Amino acid sequence: MEQANTLCHDGKSKGGVLAYLERLETGVNRSGKQREELQSAQAVGNALATKIRKLRCLRDKLRAEVKQRQARVKASTTSVDPDQTVEISEQEVLERKQKNVKAILQAYRFTGLSGKLTSRGVCVCINTAFEGNLLDSYFVDLVIKKPLQIYHHSVPVFIPLEDIAAKYLQTDIQHFLFSLCEYLNAYSGRKYQADQLQSDFAAFLAGPLQRNSLCNLLSFTYKVDPRGQAFPFCARLLYKDLTVTLPTDVTVTYQGTEVLSTSWEEQRAAHEILFCTKPLHQVFASFAKKGETLDMSLFS
Amino acid sequence: MDAGLAEVRALQADIAALRRACEEPLAPREETSRVQKSFQEIYQSDSEGWKSSKDLKSQLGHLESELSFLSTLTGINIRNYSMKTEDLTSTEMTEKSMKKVLQRHRLSGNCHMVTFQLEFQILEIQNKERLSSVTTDLNIIMEPTDCSELSEFVSRAEERRDLFMFFRSLHFFVEWFEYRKRTFKHFKEKYPDTVHLLEGASSHYMGIRSASRPGFELLIIWKIKIDEEGKVSPKLDLLTKVPRRALELDKNRVIETAPLSFRTLLGVLGIEAALESLIKLFCTEENN
Repeated sequence: MEQANTLCHDGKSKGGVLAYLERLETGVNRSGKQREELQSAQAVGNALATKIRKLRCLRDKLRAEVKQRQARVKASTTSVDPDQTVEISEQEVLERKQKNVKAILQAYRFTGLSGKLTSRGVCVCINTAFEGNLLDSYFVDLVIKKPLQIYHHSVPVFIPLEDIAAKYLQTDIQHFLFSLCEYLNAYSGRKYQADQLQSDFAAFLAGPLQRNSLCNLLSFTYKVDPRGQAFPFCARLLYKDLTVTLPTDVTVTYQGTEVLSTSWEEQRAAHEILFCTKPLHQVFASFAKKGETLDMSLFS
Repeated sequence: MDAGLAEVRALQADIAALRRACEEPLAPREETSRVQKSFQEIYQSDSEGWKSSKDLKSQLGHLESELSFLSTLTGINIRNYSMKTEDLTSTEMTEKSMKKVLQRHRLSGNCHMVTFQLEFQILEIQNKERLSSVTTDLNIIMEPTDCSELSEFVSRAEERRDLFMFFRSLHFFVEWFEYRKRTFKHFKEKYPDTVHLLEGASSHYMGIRSASRPGFELLIIWKIKIDEEGKVSPKLDLLTKVPRRALELDKNRVIETAPLSFRTLLGVLGIEAALESLIKLFCTEENN
């Protein structure tokens, strides 16, 4: 005990370690749990040491590989006749580099935004997609001068380009382009859904699909089962937020004079929810699937 | 144990950097004066069939500045790209003047400290009326791999085969990540005794405690969420640790309502000012 006290002035930790060692020396029986703890700590320590060894090995291997490549490069440029081969390999190197850079510039379209420098400034290309389908692209030609101006563009007139430009163009080009991207991608997505409905699921429609140019107000009459006696429902989809591809307001109504039975009323309500949560063409695809296993009792 | 883990992380970073070095195209790094001289010679003795190197050089310079512009604009730095195409048009399709081509793309690069490798396939079907391009497969490998906030988002992007959302959200995520790191670092430097970053500035929590108030501790948890649509937003929470006696004295239940009050404070002051005001609570007795 005294020993522990005299060493206390060096801090608690020293007294603690000494006490621990003393306990080891006197060979006090450790409980099974203590032994296990020690063993598991050792095991973790060992696993860590092995991992470190493996990683060191891999790193050394890669270092050697990089050194080899560098040596190869040096050899190829310093080996033979300086005048001739240096000239050719320099040319080759530049051409290879140019090819590489050109390829990478092409690859930027996969980020959704790409562009080219022009004599006036820059022409940015915005690509749109919906659910993995690559859709239309639009361009905005910017003139770099104060204030920044849009020289030329292919953005449809119903997209609020001027509003977005007024908000962001002068202060933050990136924000301007990202915001425009949002609007254009959403428009493309809505248009895609409406087009798919018209082309692939025309059989379900009991009349023409009414749509505006922004594709944010759709109205149509449909039957869940195109061949059968299903009741025609009228759907009205409104996308108040122009940056989304799912409607914000959906109303499904029945235009007939009879009162709807409970099962049809349930369906009507369910459809309202469906249109809000799934893309339009997918809703109809699910109708088509269900049609294959339709329960005839619904027609009673 | 900590030293061991730190070494593991350092080794992993080294390995990632070496792998990248192995990917770079073989090119001499230095331009010696000997090479410069031969450029002059090439320019002067311009032979037909070869574009003048100087022209090529300026062309390359132009392309590289385009690249640097795009990299700054998108926040994404693409280092490598290659593509292979496979013609899948059957004879039946050719008769109907249809065409089917499968493109295999491979793309790699980085967004600040995050590196990515993408492999994806695009199926192009051309018939009389239209051309459709669909991404049919997407595989994403990201480094660092231990960022849980990112891995969920990556699987979602792969499932949806949504390249654009992946890149856009990655850019914003990294921006928020860097901002959080800068903010934590700033506070740690300004209030070294009060602010504690147990796992460094890159982690998602910051502790506030002071020797002048033993037993009390505030823990700020700052997560970066990516929602279903790919929108990135910060989510901050406050945890409190308080001695039992203090809880008993807390008649107004300030401690209990602290997490909610914190959210309100964030809305009023913004992130930095809110955090600083909490840190200052622990500093009032120290001389500023």
